[in-house]
Amino acid sequence: MTNFNTPNFRGWRAVIVHRHSENMERLIRQLARLGIEAELVWPSLEGVESADIVFFDGDNAYDGVFPWPEGHAPVPMIALMGSEAPGRLEWALRQGVSAHLLKPIGSGGVFSTLVFAVANFNQQRELAAEITEMKSKARLRPKVVRTVISVMQQHGLDEDAAYKLIRDEAMKRRQSVEALCESGFFDPGNGHHSPPKPNRRNTGSR
Amino acid sequence: MSTQIPIGLLFSVTGTDKYIGIDALDGAMMALEEVNADPSFDFEFVPHVRDPGDSLSLFRRYAEELLTEHNCRNIIGTVTSSSRKEVIPVVEKHDALLWYCCPYEGFESCENVIYIGSTPSLHMVPLFEYVVPRFGANAYIVGSNYIWGWETGRVARELLTACHGQVHGERYVPIGSEDIGRLIDEIEQKRPDFVLNNLIGHSSYAFFEAYKALGERDPHFLPENCPIVSCNITEAEIDSIGQEQLLGHLTTAVYFETQPNAENQSMLDAVHHRYGGERRGSTYMVSNYTAIKMLAAAIRDTGSDEVDPVRTNLHARRFDTALGPLKIDQWTNHAALRPGVGRFDGLGFEIVSAADELVEADPYFVHFDAKEFARKIAEQQKVAPHLRVVK
Repeated sequence: MTNFNTPNFRGWRAVIVHRHSENMERLIRQLARLGIEAELVWPSLEGVESADIVFFDGDNAYDGVFPWPEGHAPVPMIALMGSEAPGRLEWALRQGVSAHLLKPIGSGGVFSTLVFAVANFNQQRELAAEITEMKSKARLRPKVVRTVISVMQQHGLDEDAAYKLIRDEAMKRRQSVEALCESGFFDPGNGHHSPPKPNRRNTGSR
Repeated sequence: MSTQIPIGLLFSVTGTDKYIGIDALDGAMMALEEVNADPSFDFEFVPHVRDPGDSLSLFRRYAEELLTEHNCRNIIGTVTSSSRKEVIPVVEKHDALLWYCCPYEGFESCENVIYIGSTPSLHMVPLFEYVVPRFGANAYIVGSNYIWGWETGRVARELLTACHGQVHGERYVPIGSEDIGRLIDEIEQKRPDFVLNNLIGHSSYAFFEAYKALGERDPHFLPENCPIVSCNITEAEIDSIGQEQLLGHLTTAVYFETQPNAENQSMLDAVHHRYGGERRGSTYMVSNYTAIKMLAAAIRDTGSDEVDPVRTNLHARRFDTALGPLKIDQWTNHAALRPGVGRFDGLGFEIVSAADELVEADPYFVHFDAKEFARKIAEQQKVAPHLRVVK
């Protein structure tokens, strides 16, 4: 059995981008029960940037309504859907929605939607950060190949030994192999005609 | 002739949970007849009783029928969470009230339900506040394989981990299974400080029986050293478990038959008069009894059984009931109650710990702080090290 601590939203601030309605009153009350202070905004979106979570009208909201580039919301977004018309679903998806809640809003569903939305949002953000890092590594791959060849030539090593030397130096410096190679540390004429010794830290500059 | 007010009573008095259902229905019927016999009420309740047995779909159908064909605005009933979940959409659709009077796992707050039972903040928390300083924070968790067992186990793990305790084992058995030999073997081997029991029905009875035998061959497992602690054992099950089997073990509840408030004493007199001197009061019986009394009081105040005025009236008042003082929170519709811990002394539950004041329900654990909980327990251990039972 794994530990799953009770999700707690005490002190959170929600902004609900929706026209006033009985449904929204129910949503606000349900959020209050979870310790969340909610504010209904429409049509002007005041305070939306400082929210911890945003609910929006999936039926009536339109392009350019949010003050951030489409799909780049800084917080979890929950679509409030009445219509299931594919065009509206597509629009909600483009906003980078983390979860949705069907109208009419009932007593059930708000808590689980919040928990799923926050988990999805965090996972998306972690994945996006990982992808950015992978892309950067992929971009620097040719530089790593050139460095391996260069170190093989400089030290008369085979490919595996050359790579190991580079990797060991990168680990010692707590840098990625890619970043170390990009820094030009192993470039010929940079003082590395013999394998670098430990603690030679001031030789890595370009 | 006084106004007749129809009221739905929806309890399984046949099937798996029949003992709880019978206890609950008996409590409700007794209160209803007391109201009808009391001239200070200028109306009369007309009960419409339905028994869905073990059929979940019948809960929904009967609820629909009670609200549409018999014009009930209030339904008292359901015991299991799964049956309550069947009825909720129906009371929401017709804007009626369901009065739910059992402990459950929480994480729900429906505007069309009045919750008289406790959620984990009112049963797990007070139970562990009593048990951990005295026995330790290392538990073995047993439960029946469904949401009550799983969720109670999850909360227990969260609370015990906060107190630097460990869960030595967590096992679930199919509902109704009496095959608990493997549990006992593992408990014997792991030697926890206490056992948290979330089993129901026959599994629970078989477990108490086998645990007694374990204690007889190894004194570590005597109740004074390593008790079974439960959140769902009440007076209703004493005879099914067996008095010797239950002796010395602990349970938490918002009601014990032994509590001294005057309303409880007069209710128990009525129980004995109506159902015989051997009959016990239990949370299930008394909570449903209380629900009817609260509803009657609200209708008398507002002159209507409509949901809005009744609910508003409930939120505004404080009741003195057989359960003790009680208030309905206007945000969660859950009762604030006084939870306690009882130790079975062979006859009934001796109350070994009780809240001094009403404790607000917190069905979503919004206001709960695990660190504060752990700090409170650590302080108790420091201030009163003698609480720790020497093994």
